[in-house]
Amino acid sequence: MTVSSNTRSRRKNLLLDIMLFVICVLLLMPLLLLIANGFKTPQEILVWPPTILPKDPTLENFHRVFSETPLFRWIFNSLSFALLSMIAIVITSTLAGYVVAKFQFWTINVIFTLFLATAIIPFEVYMIPLYFQVKALGALNSIGGLLIGYLVMSFGIFLIRQNVIAAVPDELIEAARIDGAGEFWIFWHIVVPLLKGPIAALSVLAFFQAWTTFAWPIVVLTRKTAFTIEVGLANFQSAYTVDLALLSAASAAVMVPSVLVFVLLRRSFVEGIAASGMKE
Amino acid sequence: MSSVEIRNLRKSFGPTEVLHGVSFTIPDGAFVALVGPSGCGKSTILRLLAGLEEVSDGELLIDDRVINDVEAKNRDIAMVFQNYALYPHMTVAENMGFSLRLMKRSKADITAAVKNVAEVLGIGELLDRLPKQLSGGQRQRVAMGRAIVRQPKVFLFDEPLSNLDAKLRVQMRAELKALHSRLQTTTIYVTHDQIEAMTMADIVVVMRDGFIEQIGRPLDLYDNPKNSFVAGFIGSPAMNFLPVTTEAGSATFSFGDGQSLSLAKFKHLQGEFLIGIRPEHFQQQKTRNGLSVTIESIEQTGAETLLQCQSGDQKVVIVLHDRFAASPGEEYRFGFDLADLHLFEAESGKAISS
Ligand SMILES: Nc1ncnc2c1ncn2[C@@H]1O[C@H](COP(=O)(O)OP(=O)(O)O)[C@@H](O)[C@H]1O
Ligand SMILES: [Mg+2]
Repeated sequence: MTVSSNTRSRRKNLLLDIMLFVICVLLLMPLLLLIANGFKTPQEILVWPPTILPKDPTLENFHRVFSETPLFRWIFNSLSFALLSMIAIVITSTLAGYVVAKFQFWTINVIFTLFLATAIIPFEVYMIPLYFQVKALGALNSIGGLLIGYLVMSFGIFLIRQNVIAAVPDELIEAARIDGAGEFWIFWHIVVPLLKGPIAALSVLAFFQAWTTFAWPIVVLTRKTAFTIEVGLANFQSAYTVDLALLSAASAAVMVPSVLVFVLLRRSFVEGIAASGMKE
Repeated sequence: MSSVEIRNLRKSFGPTEVLHGVSFTIPDGAFVALVGPSGCGKSTILRLLAGLEEVSDGELLIDDRVINDVEAKNRDIAMVFQNYALYPHMTVAENMGFSLRLMKRSKADITAAVKNVAEVLGIGELLDRLPKQLSGGQRQRVAMGRAIVRQPKVFLFDEPLSNLDAKLRVQMRAELKALHSRLQTTTIYVTHDQIEAMTMADIVVVMRDGFIEQIGRPLDLYDNPKNSFVAGFIGSPAMNFLPVTTEAGSATFSFGDGQSLSLAKFKHLQGEFLIGIRPEHFQQQKTRNGLSVTIESIEQTGAETLLQCQSGDQKVVIVLHDRFAASPGEEYRFGFDLADLHLFEAESGKAISS
């Protein structure tokens, strides 16, 4: 490499770094403002231009949020809903994705195609009929009712199927059969360990899908103690007028668990998506 | 140890039949090679025996018991795959002990058995490694180890050496053979390499397009091939085939280029035939019978001399075990023994015995 091309590529890298930094700041700005607002007095929130560091930081907002609303209850509801949905989606996707990838009967292919087709129908289209079903079952205001739309994820099935095709050769399964393994043993001891990455990625996806979902919970949940965090936060705006400071504090508090989960699972998430396939 | 019998085995994938009624018997403890060109159905036979595919028609027997409907996991057969099929997330020891674990053997038992076999195969040092940390040859040994640990009734090998380099292949050939004479387990070994089949097997089954062409001991196949396919497939370089014609009663077999050969014992024949003669059966010395050829190229390897020649419009390959002084373009008459000649019907390829 010559000197000039070296400096040129360095200059290019610098430019790239600056650009990425700017984008990063732009992305983080609202988030930082939100967190900062949580610590501001109601007066300071309305100051223009907004301050990034509160002049007179206060915990009053957080205190009020936790005393005036069942925020912990909502977080707990969201967490149970998201975790159960995640577990259900991981199980259904892994089983179905494996079967679709490795057991090729035409019936299975037809079912798989139907599953994929459901991905193009927006949930909102069948949300209302589903609501009446849930109501008929008496499952309003319950985790069970909430879960009904979040047990299966067609993208999850597709993700696992692609990974099985890429990472689990037929011979492995056949070798295990000859070695004396039954079908479920093979699934559990051969297939699942080889899908660690994609399963982790799917877990994160499924968790946040449920954690951030809004339309379905707001339809199914009417009792305040049954709210998920998203529904609870939305309620701030109407029921408590728009108390920006309070809302900011609540949102900031709510972000903690999701950021934690993401930080913990980040590596497997990235690896899983990278392996999902389009490599090879 | 067990005997294996295959009776009139047929297999179709959809509308295409790929095995058209295959039968053979493998005595207890024998080493049988299934050999034939790629796509002739060798792997399919193994997969049917292993229970990975369903039989379309016919019967599979182990120890005189029909196993058609026995599930793969209950057949007590071990198979070594061409690409080894090691479980990537398990160590060598776990790979080898997998089947024993399924048999619910005790941990101590498994460790001891795995260790024992690993020592025999020279992979005792590798037990804690993952497959991806092994070389091709080592993976091959682990795959074999996984099969041996189980002490199954039958071993199935599907081209186990074809992913190794030439030198390692020769070495493993000898090791496999030694292993078999030690374990005495009935073995079916699939290969497209006739040399592997010839050097390792007690019995060789030559296949083509879903049919068995001939079954026999290696040297029987070499000496008395039943047809021109087997004659051409067994032996390397391959047998030369030269078209000849003869009239009934004349005993004179004429090559296209004016040369001819007198074969008294075939004087009842009439029509078109193929004369087959192996490259190594030509002699530099003049004999009563011979063939004149134009030498096209000479390859000296020291131990032997390989000649590419032309006789009329036929290519002829000759291998001499002596040095040979001639140059390309020269004409030379090589001798041979009539006993080494093979005669085949031109159309069907069927061998004609006197
Ligand atoms: N699962 C399958 N579906 C359709 N055709 C197959 C399948 N397996 C093998 N075949 C066909 O059967 C024939 C024999 O295959 P195989 O037994 O693998 O040959 P070999 O091992 O001798 O090379 C081939 O023509 C192959 O294309
Ligand atoms: Mg094959």
